[in-house]
Amino acid sequence: MVDQATTLEHLGLAVGSPDIKSVGPLAFGPEGVLFVGDNVGAAIFAIDVGDSAASGASAAIDLDNLDGSLAAYLGCAREDVEIRDLAVHPHSRNAYLSVMRGSGDAAVPVIARIDSTGAISDVDLEGIAFSKSDIEDAADEDDPREVTRVKLRTVTVTDMSFVDGLLVVAGTSNEEFSSTLRRIPFPFTGDTDSNSLEIFHVSHGRYETAAPIRAFVPYQGNNSILASYTCTPVVQFTVSDFAPGELAHGKTVAELGAHNRPLDLVSYEQGDEEYLLVANDRHPLIKIACVDIDRQGPLTVPDDSLDSSPADPVTPGVGVPRQLLPHTGVRRMANLDGDNVLMLQQDPEGNVHLHTYGVGDL
Amino acid sequence: MSQGSREQPPAGLTLAWCDYNDRPALKIGGWANPGLVGLEGPDAGELSRRFALLTTEALESGLAPGRDVNSVPPVAGRFQAVGDALYFIPRFPFVAGASYSLVAYAEPVDEAGNTPAIFHIRRPADEAEPTAFVAAIYPDVATVPVNLLKFYVQFSEPMSEGRAERAIRVCRDDTGEPLEGVFVPMDPELWDPTRQRMTLLLDPARIKHGLVPNMEAGYPLIEDVPFRLFIDPALRDARGRPLRAGAERRYEVGPEVRERIDPSQWRLTVPALGSLDSLLVEFERPLDYALLQRCIRVNGPLGQVVPGHSQSGRGEGSWSFTPTEPWAEGPHQLVVHRQLEDLAGNSPVRVFDRDMMEPDNGPPLTDNVVVDFRCKSA
Repeated sequence: MVDQATTLEHLGLAVGSPDIKSVGPLAFGPEGVLFVGDNVGAAIFAIDVGDSAASGASAAIDLDNLDGSLAAYLGCAREDVEIRDLAVHPHSRNAYLSVMRGSGDAAVPVIARIDSTGAISDVDLEGIAFSKSDIEDAADEDDPREVTRVKLRTVTVTDMSFVDGLLVVAGTSNEEFSSTLRRIPFPFTGDTDSNSLEIFHVSHGRYETAAPIRAFVPYQGNNSILASYTCTPVVQFTVSDFAPGELAHGKTVAELGAHNRPLDLVSYEQGDEEYLLVANDRHPLIKIACVDIDRQGPLTVPDDSLDSSPADPVTPGVGVPRQLLPHTGVRRMANLDGDNVLMLQQDPEGNVHLHTYGVGDL
Repeated sequence: MSQGSREQPPAGLTLAWCDYNDRPALKIGGWANPGLVGLEGPDAGELSRRFALLTTEALESGLAPGRDVNSVPPVAGRFQAVGDALYFIPRFPFVAGASYSLVAYAEPVDEAGNTPAIFHIRRPADEAEPTAFVAAIYPDVATVPVNLLKFYVQFSEPMSEGRAERAIRVCRDDTGEPLEGVFVPMDPELWDPTRQRMTLLLDPARIKHGLVPNMEAGYPLIEDVPFRLFIDPALRDARGRPLRAGAERRYEVGPEVRERIDPSQWRLTVPALGSLDSLLVEFERPLDYALLQRCIRVNGPLGQVVPGHSQSGRGEGSWSFTPTEPWAEGPHQLVVHRQLEDLAGNSPVRVFDRDMMEPDNGPPLTDNVVVDFRCKSA
């Protein structure tokens, strides 16, 4: 642990006990550093998970009744286990889950680790190397009222990704309705706002709106981002178009229909082509070829070819071409090792399972 | 360790909650002579092969047909033999009201032909009386626009997360029929840092013009159909107790509002120069309660922020500001932050869903909006 911590000093990590109040979105960064979104503490932690398991041929991770096993391990009832996110360690290929055990005053944040045998362990959050960034800069202290006022605004992080030295963070405010994508330099410098972007998108060539981004995935060597919005459109934007302080615009390439919410996205390669999977809460798992996103013009007419019935969706005639996959109840996904995608799946009874699928079968 | 020195499957073990090095632990006593002789000194691995603490829920699921009880992960923690007792020190605190089961083998589990003895114990539940209640629901108005974007629910004390989806609903006031799909799925829930104020976002996909959900399902609310927002007492406070009582609020539903907030239409009652009187600002429409608390300020003649106290008025239809120093001479500005919103998410700089074909819906502005004023001569 000490050796590892020493090697991570250049990333600004120092040994101590991070005051992590809750765990939410996860993303791995350079050298196996794990970013953990703490929405209660309004901070993002970069932690050394101390996972030095040898890399090499990775094995599939399959664990039925993951939530029941986590409850057993954590010594609580299944209803006290809330799995928030999933990420795969870039070297050991172990799966990491952010889990809240219990709620309110009794809530305990847990970073659980699942290895290829299905064994559960957890990251000791005391005496580890870490660094911390507030989600936002301090309030405007030019206004004397702001110094004494109880600050009630929060930004709840919904997704994160490490892209070319920047931790890109999507979040939803509990007050204003905006579409701010934060870009936080890592190692953390305390500067969280200067790189923030407000991204507008146009629906059907007519209505220009901004909304919180719910989930996103970088692709094409981090040159593009595909984002799903709280208000359902799937929007593409090009990273090099970002100019701090200016209003950015994305291209709406698909809509996923009424009463449906995109939950997570993942990218993977199959042959020489790159593909994206979009997991939805009501519609099936959707596969999109990245090359088709580039070819797709902005949606200019309403996409009415998607049936509003989640049980009987129709392959759309407009919008980016997509394929519906049979994997059911997919809540979170992670690229396991380039050859496999790990999926957190919920069955109709509400039980949660972890399964690995080869990219050739997707 | 010899076979003879071991306890047989212990029939009379007693379980009791205790503290071990100031941490809650489980004490396992009642060992018959030669008692724990056989347990003194074994390494942690030996103890973990002979004893496991499971939640009773997990044990029962593991004993179900087709399941293997040995595949159920034990509760994370460690056993330690000290004196005449064995202790289990959990990695995570025991849960109030939960039941735990000790599985004790005479031999290590991996030796064949072993039947364990099983003992149960329940952690005392927290049975304090409920005290939390809903202190306020915003908007504090009688009529909301059909494209209403948010509610805020203020609680009397800090709350637990995770139950809003089940505990909050909206029903038509005329038929009592529930309105479905009104809110964005509450995962994650949106709380303030004190966990006392929850934000409920109405589904923007159904509010925004031009999106499929709006065209297919329409607005979440129905114009001219009054509704009630219900907060069920099943919500839990931070200690896990339900609310003292549920709460509800009735609203009428008026037409949509799809225009920028226009501070040039606000009516200012300006104070007298040199006085400590309040500046009163009356809006052309009700504004968002939370944003109103922080999105308006007053700048003095030199562009500096004027110190003082501000508060929103009844029904979020006005705002007043009382300075801590007497009003100075010269031009003042009311600075309206671009984040301020009305009840439908329109701000001073943009319409919530800007219709690019509509000449009145100009492109979004990038700066705050200001209103100039001067104090009256005394």
